[in-house]
Amino acid sequence: MEERLYDLIFICRPDTPEAEVDKLIATLEHTVADKSAKIEKIEKWGRKRMAYRVRKLREGFYVYMSIRSNHGELIKELERRLKVADPVIKYLTIRIDEEMKRQQKLAKHRERRAARRPRKPAPASAPPAGEQTASAAG
Amino acid sequence: MADPNVPQQPPAAAPPAESSAPAEKTQAAPAAESAPAAAPSSAQSGAPSGAPASAPSGQSRGPSSGGYQGNRGPSRGPGGPGGGPGGRPGPGGPHKRGKRNYVRKKKVCRFCVDRVDYIDYKKADILAPFIQERGKILPRRMTGTCARHQRWLTVAIKRAQNIALLPFAAEF
Repeated sequence: MEERLYDLIFICRPDTPEAEVDKLIATLEHTVADKSAKIEKIEKWGRKRMAYRVRKLREGFYVYMSIRSNHGELIKELERRLKVADPVIKYLTIRIDEEMKRQQKLAKHRERRAARRPRKPAPASAPPAGEQTASAAG
Repeated sequence: MADPNVPQQPPAAAPPAESSAPAEKTQAAPAAESAPAAAPSSAQSGAPSGAPASAPSGQSRGPSSGGYQGNRGPSRGPGGPGGGPGGRPGPGGPHKRGKRNYVRKKKVCRFCVDRVDYIDYKKADILAPFIQERGKILPRRMTGTCARHQRWLTVAIKRAQNIALLPFAAEF
């Protein structure tokens, strides 16, 4: 199985002590390491206001992780852990490698096109300027 | 991706979203040509009645903070038969005396302007202008987003909703 990239976000109760959040992150890290996957990034977004109430709470402590794995079982295991974990009120895992691939492809395409004809943006910027002068004249 | 300035740009770069609907309605309103001063007042009086469907949410929160730009038309009415650079000559294209002719400003996809290849669901502040106050996703005809970006945008908004970054519906 080829390598896949996942985004994992989970929200803890806002009154959870940060040490407990760190502990939770550590256990997740451990699980990831067990399955020989890699954590690309961990970000603690901190306490944020949620757009709607979750379990009667308006705020939550957001944690974001980016995981590179080629083992689908890992996600299952992570989600099971998050489901069981007490402070976690919401989590979301998204596979994003295909979109990243698409993005890279588009960026490369654009780069190549820009290299081929460098003076494309000149005519595009002209019309707005003309319009402004027209409105100023009247 | 690298576009923190997306929400800031629209007033200047992106055209108004609802400009098309009111423009048609108020076209019938009689107004003296070559009187730019009269335009803003008549435009304001015409706007509330002329935009029944899109008004409530669009005015306060939509991407079109520029809103209604009625005074564009008369200013170039008498002088410029050469045709506006950006304006397409719609049904009311030819200039007639006594009638307001509005240049329907062409809406441009904001993501295309910024060359966005991936709409990040994590950046709620970028997505927020594309939902209504009630939580609905704004249609393409209001925002001017191109088909491809609207497709991505929809997915991004739905993801953001799932992790409580954006509301599904307004509370209360």
